[in-house]
Amino acid sequence: MTPPLGESVYEVFARKNRGEPLRHIGYVDAPGVELARVYAWKTYDEENWFEMCVVPRGAVIPVNRPEGPWARNLPEAEEER
Amino acid sequence: MSQYTEDELKAKIHGGYILESPEEMTPGYRKAIIVQLTVQADTELMSAPAYWLAARHAPSTNTQVSAHAIIQDELAHANIAYRLLEDMGVSKEQLVYGREPHEFKHPYGFDQPLDNWAELVVANGFFDRAGICLLGDVHRNTSYGPLKRALVKVDMEETFHLRHGEVWMRRLARAGGAATELLQRCVDWMFPMTIEWFGLPDDLKRHSGQLNYKLKGLTNDELRQLWMSSTVPLCEGLGLKVPAHYDEEREEYVLEYPFPCEYDPEAKRWLFEDGEITWQAVFERWKGRGPMNERYVESVRRSRGAVGSWLN
Repeated sequence: MTPPLGESVYEVFARKNRGEPLRHIGYVDAPGVELARVYAWKTYDEENWFEMCVVPRGAVIPVNRPEGPWARNLPEAEEER
Repeated sequence: MSQYTEDELKAKIHGGYILESPEEMTPGYRKAIIVQLTVQADTELMSAPAYWLAARHAPSTNTQVSAHAIIQDELAHANIAYRLLEDMGVSKEQLVYGREPHEFKHPYGFDQPLDNWAELVVANGFFDRAGICLLGDVHRNTSYGPLKRALVKVDMEETFHLRHGEVWMRRLARAGGAATELLQRCVDWMFPMTIEWFGLPDDLKRHSGQLNYKLKGLTNDELRQLWMSSTVPLCEGLGLKVPAHYDEEREEYVLEYPFPCEYDPEAKRWLFEDGEITWQAVFERWKGRGPMNERYVESVRRSRGAVGSWLN
């Protein structure tokens, strides 16, 4: 097996036009913030986005749902680790 | 782990239930969606080197740009599908870099060389249309929320690929002479190639996890008909001959050649004269992979080992 490139997941959010909600449109694997920005912009180029941002998956804290991709960021899960 | 049994989950899904995370999947659902997404991801990934080698034949800088824009889209689509698999605990690393070339699950059509500009644009017109039929159906019907959302982008971009294919097929068809002859030769091998892509006919297919879990909505034969319902009129309108026509009485498109039949990849020719073969023989041919399989797979991963070792 080839070695991994030290990438982690970044969630991608974007807003199509002024006045519209910021939507979760997908995610990219990247080795850091700078490349996450580049990969997100190049991967999700289907629209001429008014605004796009990336968030490390580990920084999204669920409020009411204890499962899904962000569940491991819950304080309880943190304590178990 | 899902709180439902297989039957309970199927019933809920048919009532409109959408799954939002892998934890909600039963083992049967998980298995079916992993197969579906692996085929989807591998198909997108292998279309990239096929189109990339063919893009060398682009006749202008403008066409170079559009051909490479399509390749960029395909790689992004592959990446997104592998990413969805990763969230189910399947390793993208293993899928992309850990398998032998023959273990990839893309259709046999993407094991074939695309040797000139006409073949590239017919691939856009035929293969990408097949992609739209298949993934558009998944988009409309899938019970997995994250996949439904991911396909918004994919559908939008595949439609651009198709338009690219159609516009160029029209240009070549209008040119007449050598251009039209070349176009016809492409259609001759690529039409049956796409027909076969949709797989086993419904009367031979015993069960479908993908339909039971609503991972798609249409059967193989329905998808094949859908593809023909736009492809046959397109070709007829361009004066191109296709081995299929609409049967008024049966109210469906019918093939005018033995299906399935054998293919000679070296000559790029279907052996209609040898008659119908079994699906078992088709599966054997698919499993044996086509002439470009190893080259395509290696071309998307050849530098990974070297660069990876510098960084680790």
